[in-house]
Amino acid sequence: MVVTSEQGSTSFPVSKQKKQRQRNRPRNKRNRSQDTKIQTQIESAMQKAGSNQQPNASAADKSREQVMAEREAKKLAKQSKKQKQPPNQTPATTIITEVEQTTITQKLTTTTTTTTKSKDNNNKNQLSLAAASITPTTAAVATNIPVSADSITTGEKTRDQIKAEREAKKAAKHAAKSSKSVKANNVDAVPQQLNNLHVAAKTTGNETAATEVSSPADQEKKKPPLSKAERRAVQEAQRAAKAQGQTKTKAAPITQAAASSAKATPKVSATPVKEPKRDSESPAKSPVKLSTLKAERECKMKLFNHLASADKDASLFVNDPNLHPSMARLGVQYAERTVVGSNARCIAFLHALRQVVRDFETPAKKEFGRSLDVAVKHHVDHLNKCRPLAVSVYNAYKQFKNQLTQLPADQPETELKDQLEHFIDTYIENQIGKAAQAISSSMQEKITDGDVLLTFACSSLIQFICEEAKRRQVAFRVIVVDSRPFCEGQEMLRRLHAHGIPCTYVLINAIGYVMPEATKVMLGAHALLANGYVMARTGTAQVALVANAHNVPVLVCCETHKFSERFQTDAIVYNELCDPNQLVMSGKCCLNNWQTKSRLTPLNLSYDITPPELVSAVVTEVAILPCTSVPVILRIKPDIGY
Amino acid sequence: MREQPLREVTQLIHAIEMGLVEGSYSITNKTLDIFKYIIMSKSWQSAEALMQIVRAQSRILQAALPQETVTSNIARRILKMTREEFDLLQAKVQHFADDSQASLSLHKLVTQTSENCVSVDYSLPQQGLREALLDHLQEVETELETSSENISVQAEEHIHSSEIILTLGHSRSVENFLKRAIKKRQYLTIIVAECAPSCRGHNLAATLAQEKNVEIIVIPDASIFAMMSRVNKVIIGTHSVLANGGLRAACGAYTVALAAKHYSVPVIVLAPMYKLSPLHLCEQDAFNMVGCAEDVIAYDSLPARDAKVYSPIFDYVPPELVTLFISNTGGHAPSYVYRLLSELYHPEDLEI
Repeated sequence: MVVTSEQGSTSFPVSKQKKQRQRNRPRNKRNRSQDTKIQTQIESAMQKAGSNQQPNASAADKSREQVMAEREAKKLAKQSKKQKQPPNQTPATTIITEVEQTTITQKLTTTTTTTTKSKDNNNKNQLSLAAASITPTTAAVATNIPVSADSITTGEKTRDQIKAEREAKKAAKHAAKSSKSVKANNVDAVPQQLNNLHVAAKTTGNETAATEVSSPADQEKKKPPLSKAERRAVQEAQRAAKAQGQTKTKAAPITQAAASSAKATPKVSATPVKEPKRDSESPAKSPVKLSTLKAERECKMKLFNHLASADKDASLFVNDPNLHPSMARLGVQYAERTVVGSNARCIAFLHALRQVVRDFETPAKKEFGRSLDVAVKHHVDHLNKCRPLAVSVYNAYKQFKNQLTQLPADQPETELKDQLEHFIDTYIENQIGKAAQAISSSMQEKITDGDVLLTFACSSLIQFICEEAKRRQVAFRVIVVDSRPFCEGQEMLRRLHAHGIPCTYVLINAIGYVMPEATKVMLGAHALLANGYVMARTGTAQVALVANAHNVPVLVCCETHKFSERFQTDAIVYNELCDPNQLVMSGKCCLNNWQTKSRLTPLNLSYDITPPELVSAVVTEVAILPCTSVPVILRIKPDIGY
Repeated sequence: MREQPLREVTQLIHAIEMGLVEGSYSITNKTLDIFKYIIMSKSWQSAEALMQIVRAQSRILQAALPQETVTSNIARRILKMTREEFDLLQAKVQHFADDSQASLSLHKLVTQTSENCVSVDYSLPQQGLREALLDHLQEVETELETSSENISVQAEEHIHSSEIILTLGHSRSVENFLKRAIKKRQYLTIIVAECAPSCRGHNLAATLAQEKNVEIIVIPDASIFAMMSRVNKVIIGTHSVLANGGLRAACGAYTVALAAKHYSVPVIVLAPMYKLSPLHLCEQDAFNMVGCAEDVIAYDSLPARDAKVYSPIFDYVPPELVTLFISNTGGHAPSYVYRLLSELYHPEDLEI
């Protein structure tokens, strides 16, 4: 299969990048973990302020990993307790760290000595903390911490504990001061708020503490429900913290996600509460600022408010214990656009899906088909978050789901798995491989000596057709039209050039210059919509338009597995926004720092819609058809779209 | 002297080729300066001699800079001016001014035949011609200076509030026009197509973003069609306007105009009068130039070795795709351009 090759070749730089990230890790570790801490604190504070959530829910179903995580956490806590014993003469920051650690271990130990109920409670906390670092969704459960603090007040205070508190408060005050001095806008106020909230939580917990620093008035001020703006700022901070905290764990193999995150958790909670200066400075703030800017910007582009934002970081979702590594990898590949193109995405998805099926273990007392359906749905949702699903992928998923529902119930699991894998293989072979061959063979009749084929961007199918024509020794040449910022045409040019096909290369503005030479226009497609519109890489419609003006026939090559039941009449209702920074040219460019100019937005659309009147015919494996016959195909092939 | 370029002319050619002088406006200005210098110089005694010199220098400029039609346009203006002033002075001398000049009535226009049109002998020396020419030249200079301003004041007539306007690349007239529009109208959205590979659209976007109450969206050239469905007006500049009302504009303008036609969006072209050239070029092969292809694809990339790469600079936009021309004298339909040309230039000067 031709298409898969690009996946292999392009995945290389990604892994390299990852390595680099790992190398950088130790230096930034503290900041990141600190941020995670902040995050959990904000969450707890917000929970307190907004209150009325029942946090016990998440602890209800303990999976094996969670239990393991819990054990890990306990072990680590014990270790740190041991470490505490010798008097410490280490530099200031580490002192704080250890002191913090001790307070936590103290809490742990005190709770274990008290009633079993509180012990259970505390364990839950640890557990939920672990969960929080894995999945942001469960992070809210971290509220329990202050509650547990309440529960330990009965136990007498050790010297270390008091000392730790003092340290923490001092640090918090310091941070508050420094952050105040920087700038008192919403975003900057966040760390300060955090500190106050944290201190407040502590003081409520430990009424016996001799050193009360924060005045009750201050607490009152900070604790009541946050205003809308404040809440947004807090959310921004959370998001930034999350992003930082999780890039750290991203590099770790995901199969051991549970274990590794459990290890990470005690570390996270053991880091110093606040390190005055650093907190208010770069690590947390700059991304926060950027993200607020982005939020503002999204409101600015009135026309495109409804479209999904392009700057979703795949690493945000990657730390999911329920995610199969192959799917996690695919998600990153989608998001970073190392796997592009409708066919390539579909094939990659099906390969990953086969892995998932193979490695799937049916939970006890559950039906294979049902539980696999749930698992696959989870994976597809993840992929959709990384990048909106391609129509081809969606259709493949629908087909697979359909197959799942038809599984016989009485057969053993391994046989069912074999069936499913076989189904996936045949889907790839028939819908993509054989379809391409069929399309190619019908296109060969259209390509004759002296033809000048014009094509836009990169399509694996067009490439396949051209190669086949070359094999037949037809004397033809190809004009590759390309556009910034993707410049996929260069890839097409490279592939055609490798097969010795003479090529001409122009950018899309110059299409009027080369169109008189062209005898046929061949275009690939992302999808064919039910109203006959062709959805393809942005620019395709323009090529078809100019071809029409020059009376050059436009042939769209599209397999039927890309047919969609959607209706769409313009490219704005549904589209995908890519990274606007790609528009900025490297080096000196007027668009540099466009983020700072509130009224300027680069827009990078992924697809556009070619109206059927601009397309002479659609070449499918079934037949060569007019665009408007899509519904017919959808009807005679009901298994395509649901 | 006759076919030798003046020192000023060679300097100008050099400056333009080195990119020191850019933009039609400054080139026109510099050319006008040269002709002013020629008129002021003592090297000519009769109108005939002056016209000879102007023609010769203009031919040199045109040969050296075939893409800059504004130089010949200005030369034509000077020639027409010379003829007019000479005729006026002759008429005054011969005292039948009131007869030939004042009554250019409809009757006369209709009945006028080629026999009536007496060919004037320009070789006669004429008193006061130089002064009259310099006076007239002053007028042309003022017109040139105010042309951009005159175009931009018409912005209010063509743009209403919260309109979505698409433009391509970076034209100075368009920049001024849009700035004026932004000042006068609220909630405009301006979509700028970047015009690869030079991406001059980025400059325009950055400049316009300094204004208030406006939203600027920069799009790659490929998204023009996708965005066109939402656009109310297309406003572009042009390099020159051809005799049939077609445009020789920046590369990409054809696609923009075609897309606008597809969605029935009006295309407004800003063209000061000095960009009107009496050329009939109905195909781009007649005038197009190809630029450096390095920006399109890196020379050292593997596929670039065997592939042909083009980076044309101009596009021909046929007149039927243009809705309106806005010049410094007002709005004109593309079908009216021939009339403007006949007012602007003398028929005998169309070929220099």
